[in-house]
Amino acid sequence: MMRGRTDRLHAEASDYFASGKSPAVRRTDYYWLRLVGTGLWFLVFGLVTFVLGFVVLPVIRLVTPDRLRRQHRSRAVLGAGMRVFIHGVSDLRFVEYEFIGRERLGRPGQLIVANHPTLIDVCFLLGFAPTATCIVKAGHFRNLITRGAVIGAGYIPNAPTEEMIHTAEAALRQGETLLMFPEGTRTVPGKPLNMQRGAANVALRAARVLTPVYISCEPSTLSKNLPWYRIPPRRPKWTLRVGEDIDLGAYRDAPLPIASRRLNSDLAGLFGGAIPMRD
Amino acid sequence: MKSRQEIYDIVRKTLVELFELEAPAVVPEASFNDDLEIDSIDAVDLIDHLSRIFERRVTPREFRSVRTVNDLIDCIDRLQTQ
Repeated sequence: MMRGRTDRLHAEASDYFASGKSPAVRRTDYYWLRLVGTGLWFLVFGLVTFVLGFVVLPVIRLVTPDRLRRQHRSRAVLGAGMRVFIHGVSDLRFVEYEFIGRERLGRPGQLIVANHPTLIDVCFLLGFAPTATCIVKAGHFRNLITRGAVIGAGYIPNAPTEEMIHTAEAALRQGETLLMFPEGTRTVPGKPLNMQRGAANVALRAARVLTPVYISCEPSTLSKNLPWYRIPPRRPKWTLRVGEDIDLGAYRDAPLPIASRRLNSDLAGLFGGAIPMRD
Repeated sequence: MKSRQEIYDIVRKTLVELFELEAPAVVPEASFNDDLEIDSIDAVDLIDHLSRIFERRVTPREFRSVRTVNDLIDCIDRLQTQ
């Protein structure tokens, strides 16, 4: 069933590329080399993630009994891996990137919220703010390739809701930096942002500082509903811009459920999206 | 030890305060999800708030079986006798 669905999406994508709607697309910037390179990099990325999670992090676990120190060491290793990945793809000129204001990430008790246009957004953010913990899709805790890594680093699964919120709250109170993608999943291109309220709620519960990061990728690639091999005709460029801290004091006079709705709606405005009708 | 009526009053007052609901809408049969539009994140806020008032920890597992205001009153009533 999944197969059928994906095939249909591929067909739609090919129709789009083949249709006369867009001007005849010329494949530039060593298209075929980028295509093969992208595939190889994902293969290496998966292998390295598996080896880090099942060999390196267990060794760290053995030599570091203290939980917080162990998690920070594990995150440093994973962060270094993600940095190498990013430098690799940009040194090999598969991608370009610009990261503005990254020195303002990684402060104690800081909640970082970002939109999520592409598959590898997290590599930029955790690669360059490696002390941070992160809310991660619960499925990654079951996936054989990723589970060793996400457990070792002490990342937080996004379900069940009450555990996610209380664990995230505790992490921020302990002075950790936390990364959340408020949409809960990648943005579907062309659709308005669907902001979940979890990030706003956690921010108002425990964040000392709330910092947005605006991510864009031009031309769009590695987005939701597109397989990795649908690479764009020219080399894509990621731009990550760390925004101004958001003043949380302005929301604190209302009870939490009301305040988190207000903050969520303001976040949606900042990220240029819309919130679900129901709110 | 609080009577069921007292619990009901506190629950209603809390729901009105936290979610800006109209008091008459908070009837015992009202469903959190459908009638009161309280989602899973709201539920966490609600449990945390009530746990502080009643000085009892409502565990997520207990709360998962709660569908209506009446279920919640039952749940709190059970916890305070434990």
